[in-house]
Amino acid sequence: MDARTRWGRFSRSEAATGLKLISPTALYALIMLAVPLAAIVAYSFLTDGYLEIIWTPTLENYAEAWGDPLYRQVMLRSLMVAGLVTLATVLLAFPVAYYVSFYVRPGRKSLWLFLITIPFWTSYLIRVFLWKVILGFNGVVNSSLMGLGIIDEPLTFILYNVNAVVITLAHAYAPFAILPIFVALEKIDRSLLEASRDLGESTFMTFWRVTLPLAMPGVVAAVLIVFIPTIGDYVTPQLVGGPEGRMIANAIQLQYLRLDNYPLGSALAVSAMLIVTAVSLIFVFLNRRFLRVKQ
Amino acid sequence: MKPIIELRGVNKYYGDYHALRDIEADIGEGEFFSLLGPSGCGKTTLLRTIAGFEDVSSGTVHIGGKLMEGVPANKRPTNMVFQSYAIFPHLSVAQNVGFGLRRRSDLNAPAKQALIEDALDMVGLDGYGGRAAHALSGGQRQRVALARALILKPKVLLLDEPLSALDKKLRDQMQSELRRLQRHVGITFILVTHDQEEALIMSDRIAVMFEGRIAQLATPQQLYRRPQSRQVADFIGVMNFLPARVTGVQGDAVALEVAGLGAVQIAAEQAPGGAATGQASVGFRPETLTILFDGEAPKGRVADGVIDEVTYYGDMTYYAVRLEGVEQPLTISMRNVFGRKVLAQGEATRVAWDPGALVLFG
Repeated sequence: MDARTRWGRFSRSEAATGLKLISPTALYALIMLAVPLAAIVAYSFLTDGYLEIIWTPTLENYAEAWGDPLYRQVMLRSLMVAGLVTLATVLLAFPVAYYVSFYVRPGRKSLWLFLITIPFWTSYLIRVFLWKVILGFNGVVNSSLMGLGIIDEPLTFILYNVNAVVITLAHAYAPFAILPIFVALEKIDRSLLEASRDLGESTFMTFWRVTLPLAMPGVVAAVLIVFIPTIGDYVTPQLVGGPEGRMIANAIQLQYLRLDNYPLGSALAVSAMLIVTAVSLIFVFLNRRFLRVKQ
Repeated sequence: MKPIIELRGVNKYYGDYHALRDIEADIGEGEFFSLLGPSGCGKTTLLRTIAGFEDVSSGTVHIGGKLMEGVPANKRPTNMVFQSYAIFPHLSVAQNVGFGLRRRSDLNAPAKQALIEDALDMVGLDGYGGRAAHALSGGQRQRVALARALILKPKVLLLDEPLSALDKKLRDQMQSELRRLQRHVGITFILVTHDQEEALIMSDRIAVMFEGRIAQLATPQQLYRRPQSRQVADFIGVMNFLPARVTGVQGDAVALEVAGLGAVQIAAEQAPGGAATGQASVGFRPETLTILFDGEAPKGRVADGVIDEVTYYGDMTYYAVRLEGVEQPLTISMRNVFGRKVLAQGEATRVAWDPGALVLFG
């Protein structure tokens, strides 16, 4: 078979049609994502020389990114904040998803899902500012509590620190956690729950032995969807985090735009990416384990 | 017969919809009992009421002499085989079968394992314990569902259309296997089915249901030979109906005029739904009518007719015969005998019939 007929056959095949369909997106992703990413990886191995980049390859930046206690602390804080946000979001999202799936009658479910997505109607930035208003020194929470006589002076531990970051991010990402868990719960055949009851298990044990294991793929998806973007979030810690709530994205921004140290900023970015990848892979493997037993 | 389940005046409403109407039944210990009816007749609702998934609007359900009011499904001495089998997809076959054993604190792990193996063995799945549940075929899933229910030694096993998802060959095989299993374990089985043949083959007794009501509760033979109403007669097997007029009822004898067949006297037990003078109809099963071939001497009475249609099945031939003066042709089934010709459409024929085989409907 010569090359021409092989090409002819390929161009008529389904694979070729598929490739043609995705090629604009693929091209866009390549130029806008892969190239900058490659540039960042390249930068991270170069040397910083104040107002210019010195083209000498070095591992100095990584040594600093991983060795400097300041960066290590920021990275650990990012991990902790993302972990807390994920935990809070998934724990709070599960009952909501469960309620919508099991107690809302079928005709009303889409209305509920619609209501759950209402926070997306306003810009992310505005929602973060709103939390500033709610949690601030003279904010809604403090003035209400003072007005009720519960506290004498405004609480200060609720704004410009890690707590504020966790509260704001958990609110922002709630719908992202609710939806995958809801989908997983919806897929559970209700006769399985009846079978468990029929075999002698109480409502709680039925939840524990049947509902929860079958909802795990949704929970794992929710964990990934919340964890990955929150660990690199920049806006929320910048606006409500204060100096002690600073996260890795803020540190990267500092290196790039304030200190003009592209190589160190890049090394921090690549390090953060590697950590997120490692955490995500753990969950992906977990999910595969759960998915394997599902039909 | 000692009843294990007693249903007294059971009614069930869903809003305005009256799903079960005045259900009265005793189901015996060790009996193979079927609830038979078209879809929407309430048979599954009744089964779920016994299982404890639905509560009754009025009336009582007793199982093993105990009132079941307020007793949830997990506390009832019943187990169910679901229509979809409801096999837990995240568990292995052995874990599925042993699901209900968690609460048996009197058994240690090896004892439970032995019970699981016995149960798998009983349904012909020995060695399948380690398999993932989702890798099973339809027939195997059903066996797992059976083993999972029977391992708990319930007083009553409830089966919700368990064979409807299987292909014909497997269904036939499972019918006899279920019957064998029921005799082996001696537990009361209650089977819900819309397949009248399945109900006749498997059951000791059958409750035929229409529109939430039990239309007739009888053995398969009674149901087939003496259906109480046209509706039951029509639902079970094939029944030929002829218009008739009851001319007199005297003690144990009923006198009728049947269209195309003339005057006849029958016993009162041939009118299980009761008889009163006036318009009525009579029914004949296809095999109670006989086509007389050349030179055959008639047994019973004879009517003249013309062959309207012939359907040849190999072992059987179904003839549609039009009697003189009757619009509706009668279906007559004849076993094919070697050497005897099959009649053709349009041929004149004589039909022998036995007044004793006739059923009168008011």
